[in-house]
Order: sequence, then structure tokens, then C-alpha cells
Amino acid sequence: LSKVTPAGGALVFAALAALPLLPWMSKYYMLLAFDALLFGAVAMSLDLLMGYAGLVSFGHAAFFGLGAYSTAVLLERGVLSIWLCLGLAAVVVGAYAFTVSYFATTRRGIYFALLTLIFAEVIYTFFRYTQTFGGSDGIQGLPAPQLWAGVAVDTPMRIYYLVVAYLLLAYLACRVLVRSHFGRVLIAIRENEDRARFLGYNVQRYKMGACLISAVLTGLAGALYPGRAAYATPDLLHWSISGEFIIMVMIGGLGTLVGPVIGGAFFILLQEKVSSYVEWYSIVVGLVLVLIVLFVPRGLLGFRQALRPHPGRGTP
Amino acid sequence: LEYLASVLLPQLLHGVVFGAALGLLALGLTVIFGLLGVMNFAHGELYMFGAYAGIAVIGLTHSFWVALIVAPLLVAAIGAITEIATLRPLYRRQPLYGLIMTFGLALAFREGARQLFGGDMRRILPPIEGSIPLLGMTYPKYRLFLLAFSSLLLFGIWLFFTRTRAGIIVRAAVQDAEMLDGLGVDVPRVFTLTFAGSAALAAVAGLLLAPVFTVYPQMGVEMILLAFIVVILGGMGSMGGSVIAAFVIGIAQSLLTLWMNPQRVAIAIFGIMIVVLIVRPRGFFGREGVLE
Repeated sequence: LSKVTPAGGALVFAALAALPLLPWMSKYYMLLAFDALLFGAVAMSLDLLMGYAGLVSFGHAAFFGLGAYSTAVLLERGVLSIWLCLGLAAVVVGAYAFTVSYFATTRRGIYFALLTLIFAEVIYTFFRYTQTFGGSDGIQGLPAPQLWAGVAVDTPMRIYYLVVAYLLLAYLACRVLVRSHFGRVLIAIRENEDRARFLGYNVQRYKMGACLISAVLTGLAGALYPGRAAYATPDLLHWSISGEFIIMVMIGGLGTLVGPVIGGAFFILLQEKVSSYVEWYSIVVGLVLVLIVLFVPRGLLGFRQALRPHPGRGTP
Repeated sequence: LEYLASVLLPQLLHGVVFGAALGLLALGLTVIFGLLGVMNFAHGELYMFGAYAGIAVIGLTHSFWVALIVAPLLVAAIGAITEIATLRPLYRRQPLYGLIMTFGLALAFREGARQLFGGDMRRILPPIEGSIPLLGMTYPKYRLFLLAFSSLLLFGIWLFFTRTRAGIIVRAAVQDAEMLDGLGVDVPRVFTLTFAGSAALAAVAGLLLAPVFTVYPQMGVEMILLAFIVVILGGMGSMGGSVIAAFVIGIAQSLLTLWMNPQRVAIAIFGIMIVVLIVRPRGFFGREGVLE
């Protein structure tokens, strides 16, 4: 799985496209599949930043939530075109991500994580208490978006195909990106930031680029969410959601792109399935994360060692 | 003057009282950060455990004072077990793994408390009732007790770190754990005991604030962010810095609510935080270059 051949990838997407044809795919399972793929795509976008640039963002919920709110605001006002929703999400999330990354990329490690976290909390607090956006209830009861005039994305199957298409495009974009010169420089920065700088690369610009791309991809995924849920609430922006995104990446494996997609899908299915059997599913999810960090720190599909062992600190 | 006595002064005192409790919470967080390099996301849940352990002990013994002794000990035991089982294997890994793992622990702890105690809001009645006149206003006696007790405890901790051999060993471990190990000190044991102590402090803060606030499984989630802010502002790993920053944040938050609604206060404090992180990430008293 570390090397995805074009044929193998095409096969996987063909299988995903054929999924709704299965006889037992009820409405419930279609929406579950939507969630699994959507959050898989979000985890993949975060992996671009965590696994390749080596920057752990604790604020990705803000990108996701801003995307969702962009769509929700337009749908609420009767602008139903999904393309306008996606466009607005890209602009809003891009502008916010530019600001955050401009400041956050001047810092490394824990300080970067905390800066993204606190910026995201500002956004959360703003939406949580601003009545224009529905306060703590968010924006509810939204109409379905339209692909073009008259064709609404109003059935589980249509919204599912939308997310499959999005995942395909986002995956192709990420894959091209990490193999490009840009992606190579990101890996070099992750491995040794100072050396990359001495080689003449503008490290901050590359980091900001990675942040922007990761954020906009996450925001676009967020923009698709109200199409499925018919709402956008401040809960989507809360930092515990950012934590869940990190969990998805860790489960799947840092720096693999495919791994986090599977990690995200696995997390959603785990949450859904465990919560239907036991009430205390958060305990299971939390402990799964602890066990993964302890025993498979590179993730279930992690092949490359992304976060190097920490030298020096602690006991022999 | 009327305004001063009836509005400004009580609010200032509220801030000082809250700052003292926040100091207890942040102190444990910053020591663990200095020692293990881990930003402990589960610290807020240890704070929450303190309040619930208090409720459980009060239910059995009908005494707040017994709970104030027993609950921190219970939480310290939970902390020690957690440290040995989950953090000890991570000593040599990148600090980010600790961050991610304690996030998982926090999730499990929160849900554990919800299952054990239910998700509804609970209250602990203040063990000292009534108010006394103070500087031209009347102020609840319990809050004054809270301030006095927290301040004494902070002073005790300062004595511990400066005057006792055990305290000096902990500070030495923060400076250079490897050297300490070379000198024949059982460093993992120091780590475990310190983590237990930090958990106990969080529990004391949780129990002390329980009669002022409400007790519910999510109560640690908002506090932990504030505690992080305090720790960064004071300088990660700096104990004195954390305590001072706790009072600064406590008072700032309390006074700002006079002129702004709570969400603007929250945003203002986040704003201060962002500026500090960008301009001077080591905070007031942090050592230069720590994980920058």
C-alpha cells in the first residue's frame, strides 16, 4: 500500500463508485459511507501538513467549520449553487489560513500546534456567540445545494457521489503535490529545517504553502458537509474536533496520504459502530488512540518514519 | 468611590481568588512540561476528577474537609498509574506524541466520569457559609478561605522546591534528567511521583472551585485551555512564572467582564496569547529556546 499504482487506485475508486449498487446499501449506510470518505479526505489534507511538512495543526476544525459555515450562509440566503458554496469556502478558508499560517509558521513544534489551536478557538468563540450565525444552535434546516439549476444534490446517493469525486480530485492533487519539487522541499524541511534554510529555500514560504493547501482542501470538504447534514453548528469548530482529525491521521499513518483516508474512515466507522453497541464509545476511541501511540506510532499503514524519535530528553 | 467598593473591588478579589486556584492547576501542568516535555491534555480531566472524587467522598463521609485530603490522594493514585502505564514508554519519543496520547486519555477520562457519575450538572455546597464585611463590601467567606488555602499551598510548594532534598531533585530532573540518572537517582520514579503530585494539585483546584462553579464531565475542557495560556504566558517549565501568570489571567479575566461580554473577554485573552506566542513564545520567565 505504500506505493499506489494507477491501476490499483482506479480499482479502488471504481469499487467506491459501485458501492451504492450493492443491494443492502440503505440510506443510513450511504450517509455513513459519505461521512467515512469525507473525513478520510480531511485526514488526508491534514496529513499533507503533519506527515510531509512535519507541522502538527491543532486547529483544522476551524478550516472545516468555516467551510461548512460558508455553505450554510449561502444556502440559508437561497444561493443554492454548490460551486458558489465551494468557491466562497475556498476564499474564506484561504484568507483565514493565510493569516494563521503567516504567524504560526514562524514557530515550530508545540508552539505551532498551540498557535493554530488558539486561532481556531477565536473562530469557535466568534461563531458560538454571534447571533447572526445562529449562536450555539448554528444554522439549521438548510435546503439541498444544486449542481446546476434544477439538479439538486438531495438524495444520499448523489451526495455520496459528490464526495467520491471530491476525494478522487483531492487525492490526485495531494499525490501530485507530494511528488513534486514542492513536496520534496517540504520533506526536507521536516527532516532538517535548518539545512533546508541553508540550502537557500524560503522555509516559511513553503510551510505557508503547505498550510494553505491543507486548509483549503479541508475547507472544501467542510463546504460539502451541510449538503449531507443540512446544518452547520459551532461544534464543528471545536478544538476536540481538531484532535479527532489528528487521531485519524495517527491511526492511518503519517506521511502516507492513503493511510489517513483509511484512518478517517476507520475512525468514523468505529465511532458509529461502537456507539451503537455501547454508550461509552469515547472510552474505546480514546484508548485506541493511546494504544496506537504506544505500540504502532507510525499508524496502521505507516511505512515511513515521519516523526523522528526525540533525542536527548528523558531517561536512558 | 461607591463604584470602587461595590463593583471594582469585589471583581478584583474574584480575580485573585480564581487566579490562586488557576495557579495550582497551571503549576502541575508546567512542572510536567518541564520534566517530561509533555503538554498534558488530560490535566483538565484530572481537575474534573478532583471535583467528582470530592463529591464521592462527601457522599460517604459528609465532610468537605475529609474530601479535601482524600480526593487529591485518589487522583494522585490515578495519575501515578496513568504515568507508569502510558507516559513512561514515551520518554524518548518526540513531545508531540505525548500531546496526542494525552488527548486520547482525556477523551477516555471524560467519558469514564460521565458513565460513573452521569452527565448532569452537580454542585458541592460551600463548607463555610455566609459573608463577612471587608473593605466596605461583604464578601463570601468560602472564597476567602479558597484564597488563603491556595496561597498557603503555593507557599508550601515553594518551600518544597527550595528547601527539601526531594524538591531539589525534581528541579534537577527538569534541568537535566540524564545527568541526574548518572548520579544514581531513580529518575523514572521521580517522574511518576511528580506526575502524581501534579495530578493531586489539579484535583485540589477542582475540588476547591467546585462550590464556586458547577461540576460536570466537560468542566476540564474549558479550564485546560486557560491553564495552557497561563503556562505559556509564564514561560513553559517556569513554576514561578506560571503562578504569576495565573494571577494576571485571573484578574484580567475578572476585570474585563466588567466592560465586555464573556465571549469578547475570551477572544481578548486568546488575542493576548497569540501576541505572546508570536513575539515572545517563552513567556515572562521561560528559558530561551525550549522547544521553540
